[in-house]
Amino acid sequence: MKITMVKKILADGSPCQKCGEVEHKMRQAGQLDRIDEILIADERDLASPGMLLAGELGVDRAPFFVVEEPGKPPLVYTVYLRFVKEILDQKTDDRDELREILDGNPDLDFI
Amino acid sequence: MTARETPMNDQRLNVVDLDARLSAQSPQQILAHALAHHDNIAISFSGAEDVVLVDMAFRIRQDIQVFSLDTGRLHPETYQFIERVRDHYGIPIETLFPDAAQVQTLVREKGLFSFYRDDHKECCGIRKIGPLRTKLLTLDAWITGQRRDQSPGTRAAIPVIQEDRAFARKGAGLTKYNPLANWTSAQVWHYIRANQVPYNPLHDRGFISIGCEPCTRPVGPGQHEREGRWWWEEATMKECGLHAVNVSDSK
Repeated sequence: MKITMVKKILADGSPCQKCGEVEHKMRQAGQLDRIDEILIADERDLASPGMLLAGELGVDRAPFFVVEEPGKPPLVYTVYLRFVKEILDQKTDDRDELREILDGNPDLDFI
Repeated sequence: MTARETPMNDQRLNVVDLDARLSAQSPQQILAHALAHHDNIAISFSGAEDVVLVDMAFRIRQDIQVFSLDTGRLHPETYQFIERVRDHYGIPIETLFPDAAQVQTLVREKGLFSFYRDDHKECCGIRKIGPLRTKLLTLDAWITGQRRDQSPGTRAAIPVIQEDRAFARKGAGLTKYNPLANWTSAQVWHYIRANQVPYNPLHDRGFISIGCEPCTRPVGPGQHEREGRWWWEEATMKECGLHAVNVSDSK
């Protein structure tokens, strides 16, 4: 299994706040050791590895995680806590996951 | 072989191309496309003006699947309206409820109106997103009444069709259709009047966007409908989208 994390740099050159928060949590939880590769999606550079991967997989947000296993289509996670639960097999707080979904998909608040 | 015999969820959709094509079509044509390509598809009905989707879909397929999120905090008028829609079209409307234990914990820890002190997301997460997630994990596709003109901040760029990665089953696809994305509120209301579609009576009392009772208020002339929801919160926007810019422009 290969796990790739994609984090982004904003168009103004600053790092993505959410990506930083997630990376910090992962470092504290010792989860970064499970990540095989970290790619940067630089909004100023369409050819940056993270932007290319996002385009290839049709992902429009960051951070995101790609899980690859031989002979299987890649799994893409845009919800960090769901990735932690399903791939890293660690317990998460469901309320936190629901909030993360809403944070990442603000259009859902009118549903 | 018809399109419905080759379900889309087994294929990798080129949703970008499809979105470009469907964006030029009417909501009815988009709905027809969605219903032709998915058997396991449902409409998310909020009890507001998205009733037009139910009406349009019913004219295409009378066995449409419709669900509604009962947060426990809706206006009485909304409950009555959902029942009226059920009777009018003679269709079942699946009512989804939040996890009781999660609601009890929230209320025990923070009371019944925590959203006025904190923000609405924790409550919405438990009362809406949780049951929505449970339902969507059973579907191949879903249909919403989201429109770009509903919120310049959060809905300005919603596509007609998108791959929904937040709620898809592990290793499977979930397609989300927003047939009304390009319609305006005026077009929705023209459709409702022209086709004598039943509507929530709260609309006659100045409510444009209708959600839970404590978090919804009527708005005045010239006010955007967004001002009728969570008005006590500042417009803080999470910026998680990927926005490619022309490199030469940024130098």
